[in-house]
Amino acid sequence: MALIEARQLSKHFRVGQRGGLLRRLRDQPSGGRDVAAVTDISFTVEPGEMVAYIGPNGAGKSTTIKMLTGILVPSSGQANVAGLVPWQQRTTLASRIGVVFGQRTQLWWDLPLHESFRLLQHIYRIPTDRYRENLAQLTAVLDLAPFLDRPVRQLSLGQRMRGDLAAAILHEPPILYLDEPTIGLDVVAKERIRTFLQERNQQQGTTILLTTHDMADISRLCERMLIIDHGKLLYDGRVSAISEYYGGQRRLIVDLADDVADPVVPGAHLERREGSRLWLSFRRDETTAPALIATLTARYPIRDLTLEEPDIEAVVRRIYEEGLPGDATAPTGAPMVAP
Amino acid sequence: MDKLRLYRLLLAARLRSQLQYRVSFALEATSSFTTPFVELIAILILFRTFPNLGGWTAGEVVFLYGLATTSLAVAEMLSSGIDQTSDLIREGNFDRILIRPVNPLLQVLATDFQLRKIGRLMQGGVALTLAQLLITPHWTLLKGLVFFSALCSTVLVFCTIFLIGAAICFWTIDRSEIQNVFVYGGTEIASNPLNIYDQRLQALFLYLIPIGLTVFYPALYILGKPDPLMLPPFMPFLAPVVALLFLSLGLLIWEFGLRHYQGTGS
Amino acid sequence: MRAYLAAARMSYWRYYTYSIATIAGVITNGFFGLLRSYVFIAFYQNRPIAAGYRLSDALTYVWLSQAMIMPLFMWGWVEIAETIRTGAIASDLTRPINYFGYWLSRDLGRAGYHTLFRWLPTMMLGIIFFRITVPTAPLTWLAYLISLLLAIILSFCLRFMINVVGFWTTDVRGISGMVLLFVNFFTGFLIPLEFFPPAARAIVLQLPFAGLVSIPNRIFLGQATGAEIFLLLGQQLGWTIVLILAAHLLLHVATRKLVVQGG
Repeated sequence: MALIEARQLSKHFRVGQRGGLLRRLRDQPSGGRDVAAVTDISFTVEPGEMVAYIGPNGAGKSTTIKMLTGILVPSSGQANVAGLVPWQQRTTLASRIGVVFGQRTQLWWDLPLHESFRLLQHIYRIPTDRYRENLAQLTAVLDLAPFLDRPVRQLSLGQRMRGDLAAAILHEPPILYLDEPTIGLDVVAKERIRTFLQERNQQQGTTILLTTHDMADISRLCERMLIIDHGKLLYDGRVSAISEYYGGQRRLIVDLADDVADPVVPGAHLERREGSRLWLSFRRDETTAPALIATLTARYPIRDLTLEEPDIEAVVRRIYEEGLPGDATAPTGAPMVAP
Repeated sequence: MDKLRLYRLLLAARLRSQLQYRVSFALEATSSFTTPFVELIAILILFRTFPNLGGWTAGEVVFLYGLATTSLAVAEMLSSGIDQTSDLIREGNFDRILIRPVNPLLQVLATDFQLRKIGRLMQGGVALTLAQLLITPHWTLLKGLVFFSALCSTVLVFCTIFLIGAAICFWTIDRSEIQNVFVYGGTEIASNPLNIYDQRLQALFLYLIPIGLTVFYPALYILGKPDPLMLPPFMPFLAPVVALLFLSLGLLIWEFGLRHYQGTGS
Repeated sequence: MRAYLAAARMSYWRYYTYSIATIAGVITNGFFGLLRSYVFIAFYQNRPIAAGYRLSDALTYVWLSQAMIMPLFMWGWVEIAETIRTGAIASDLTRPINYFGYWLSRDLGRAGYHTLFRWLPTMMLGIIFFRITVPTAPLTWLAYLISLLLAIILSFCLRFMINVVGFWTTDVRGISGMVLLFVNFFTGFLIPLEFFPPAARAIVLQLPFAGLVSIPNRIFLGQATGAEIFLLLGQQLGWTIVLILAAHLLLHVATRKLVVQGG
C-alpha cells in the first residue's frame, strides 16, 4: 500500500475578503473571488521513492504539501499518509514526517544550533541514545561541527540549510518534504546536500518529496517527477522522458533592430515575442548557437542578444501549451502518466 | 509531565539568550520598573488634593492598583510568546509549529518569556507593600487565601485576553488596538473602585471580561468594605471560577481560530 | 524648500492609507478618555475646584491629553533608528538637504494627518460624551495651534535625539522606554502639573517637557491670559530652539563617528 496517497485533492481560497475590516464590510456577503489553488490532484508515492514535485511559482506546490502534512484542510478530496489522514491526525503524523521549508528556518533564531537540536529531541521524544547517535552521524555527514554552538541567525545560508536538514531528519522520519532545499546556495553546497539526500534515500529508504526550481537537482536525484501548473497535475512520470526532450534545450533572447510582424526562424521555436524582442528555443542536437545567430542576422538585423539555459517555467509553460512530446492530448484534463 | 518539562526547557533556553544582552536588558527592566512607578506617584499626588475616590482612601486604591499591576506583570511575562503569534503568522512562521507533534498553543506559550517585564512585577510589589503600610488590613487565613486566589485568577484573565488577542490574528485582523484597550484599559479599571464607572462599563468588566470580579470583589472582602453594587455576598469567592470559565472561552476561540487558519491557510 | 514640502506631503498621504488603524486608534483614545474622565468625576465629588481646575477643566484636560497622543507621537517612534540599523542612513546623510529638516518635514506631514484624524475626532468624542468645553475666542484657538505646533516640534527633537543614540546602542527601545517615564509624568500627560506638591511644581513647570502637554492644554483651557500666553509660548519656543541645537550637535557627533568608524 502506498505510503503517500492523494486522491482528487482540491483547495480553493476566497480572495478579496481577507485582510482589512473595511474591505470585509464593503464586500457583499457572497463577495470575493474564488481562487482554485489546487484542483483534483491525485498521485501515489511508494515507500523509498524520491519524487520531484515541480511547477512555476504559484502553481500550487506549497498548497499540496500543506495538505499532505495536515497544515491545511482541503476543500475536497482525500489523502492518506503513512496510514493517517493528515488534517485529522496532524500531531500523530508529525512524528513521522520531516519538513524543510527552504526560505524559512524551523530552528530557533537566537539560540545556538545544538540547543535547537536538544529542543527537538524533546519535542519529538527521541530516546537519548538514538538522539546522540543520529546527531553524531548528521554532524559528521553534514559537517556541522564548526558552527554547532553558533546562534542560527549568525549562520550563512548554506550552514543554516544544513542545520535545517539535520533538524528535519533528527527523529528519523520515514517521509521527508523538502521545499527548495538548495535555493540560493553555491554549487559546492548544492552538491553536498544532493549527495546527502541521495544517501539517505538509498541507504535508509527515506521517502522524499522534493520541490525545486533547479533542474539539476531533479536530474541528479529523482527518477520520477510530478509537474503541477495552475493547480492541476500536468505530468506524472519519469524524469528521463522530460529531460531527454528538454535537456538539450537552450534559449536565445534577441533584440531585433526593427519590429518584425511575423518573424520566421528556421531551426528554432519561437516561444514568445514582445515588440522587437524574441525568445527563441532550440535544441543542442539540431543546431548550434552560432549557426542560429547567423541564420537570424541573415534575415533580420540584430541589436542585442543573450543566451540562456531553459528554466522550469519555460518547460512547464511549453508542456502546458503544447502537450508533451509525442503525445497528441493537450493537458487540459487528466494528467499524462508516462511510464 | 513531559509537556511541563518541554516548557521549562524552552524557557530556560530563552532566558539564557535574553540575559546575554545585559545592558539592554537592564535598561528595559529599569524602564518597565519606573514606568508604572510614575502611575503610582500620580495616584498619590492626586490623593493629596482629594481625600477619597468613590469612598476609597489612598491606601485602598493603591491596594487595588498593586493587585492589578502585579497580576498584569506575571501575565505579561507568561504570555509574551502568545503575544508574538501575530508576528509568527504574518511572517509565515506559524506553519513550522503545526509540523511538530506538540500542541501548537503549548509551543506558542513557550516561545518567549519576557524577563524584562520583571520591573512591573517589582512595581506591583512596591504598591502592595505601600498599601499594607497605609491601611494595615486585618489579615485572616481566609483573606490570605482570597488574596492569593484573586492574584492567580487575575493573571489567568489577563493571559486569556492575550490568548484571544492572538487567536484573532488567525482571522488576519489587526488586534493590537483591541488588545490594548482590554489589557491596559482593564488594568486601569481594576485599579480603581468599580463603582466610579458607568454601569455599562461595570457590567462589561464584571461579566464579560471578568477582571472586576477577580480584583474588586476580593478586595472588598479583604478590606472589609461594603459592596456598593449590592451583588450577592459570595462574589469575592467566585474569582477562580470566573477566571476558569473565561479561560475556557479563550481556548475555544483559539481552537476556532486555528481551525479557520487551517481551512483557509496562510 | 520644495523638497521639504514634498517630504511632508508624502508623509501625510502615507498615513492616510492606515484608515482602519486610525479608526481603531480613535476608539482607543476615546476609551481611555472615558476611563480617566470617570476618575476625575469621582474625585471631584470631594470639592468643586482644585489646583485651579474645576471638574469641567479637568475633563477637558483629560480629552486634550488623549487627543494629543498621536500628533506628539512620543511612544515608540524608531524610524531613524531603523535606518541606522539597516545602514540606509549612510545614503540618507549624503543627500543635499538638511537631514534634521528633512525628517522634521516628514514628521510635520504625519502630525498634520494625526491632528486632523486623531486630535479632532477624539475631541469630538469628548464633546459628545462629556460635554467638554472648547474656547470661543479665535485668538485662543490661534494661540493653541501655535502651541501645539511648538509641542510637536519639541517632541520631534526629543525623538530625533533618542533615535540618534541608536548610533551607539543597538537597542533603542530600551531608551525609548525610559523616555516614557518623562513623557507620561513630567509633561503633565497623566495629571496636570499644578497638582504637584509646591516645591516640585515650580521646577516641573519650567522643564522642557511641560511644553509638550501642559502648556498647550493650559492655553486651550484659557488659564493663561494676554501676556501670560506670550510667556508660555516663549517658554516653549525657547526650549524648542535649545533642543533643535542639541539635536544638531548630537547628530554632528554621531556622523563623525560614522565617518571615522565606517558605521
